[in-house]
Amino acid sequence: MLPTSLVVALLVGVVLVAMLILGVTPLAAHTVGRLVLLVGLVALPLLLSAGNLSYGVSESSSTRFCLSCHEMERFGRSLFVDDKQALAAVHYQNRLVPRENTCYTCHKDYALFGDVKAKLNGLRHVWAHYVTGVPAQIKLYEAYPNSNCLHCHDDSRRFVEKDVHRTIATQLYAGSVSCLSCHRIAHDMAKVDAHQFWQAQ
Amino acid sequence: MIRAIRRAAICTGLGLLVQLVAALHWTPFTFIASAVVGLPLILVGGFLFLRAVWKSLKNQGPS
Repeated sequence: MLPTSLVVALLVGVVLVAMLILGVTPLAAHTVGRLVLLVGLVALPLLLSAGNLSYGVSESSSTRFCLSCHEMERFGRSLFVDDKQALAAVHYQNRLVPRENTCYTCHKDYALFGDVKAKLNGLRHVWAHYVTGVPAQIKLYEAYPNSNCLHCHDDSRRFVEKDVHRTIATQLYAGSVSCLSCHRIAHDMAKVDAHQFWQAQ
Repeated sequence: MIRAIRRAAICTGLGLLVQLVAALHWTPFTFIASAVVGLPLILVGGFLFLRAVWKSLKNQGPS
């Protein structure tokens, strides 16, 4: 979706700077004119850039943005498979995560610098996409941390009341037993390839 | 001073233009271009403008 207000603001900025280029000579001759130049050539562009960067950072967390690289398309399709065991599909289809930020919600760490780490990893993805090439098998940089699951499931009734969770709670919180050791299917690629998708009635 | 300010303004204008084009179609590439090319151009433009004004004030000396 086009960020209309941002585009209009940037367009106004470009036009304003173009006008200032043409009017530099008379403006630079007096103090008020110099102040106009200061606002138009420094303050306003910096403000617009901050807004643009902020929008870009926010947009880079969207599902649409993640799936805009073709190598992620299969992972995107895995959100729609008909498999009640596949974590990505279950979370997406049951709206357990916001649909507009699905990838980011599960794949960012919830620690202090989780956002920064996710964005830096995003830069690594871009580097791989444009420079070094995408590996034949796409995998996580490190084992999926339980803390990401527990961030939401920690005190949820469904999680707490399961006996098996209570039995191994200490190991789960310590990270010595991965949630994925039982919930094995994160993205059901077999069903993606078999085109077995869930369709809402 | 006028030429220096004009150079600064052109830099800033280009930076805004890059960001405008990126905002029209957000992809990982345009986002990086916006942050790595657009933003630095704005910063360089601002720096050139301030330097031009500073030099001009310095040349005028104490009034």
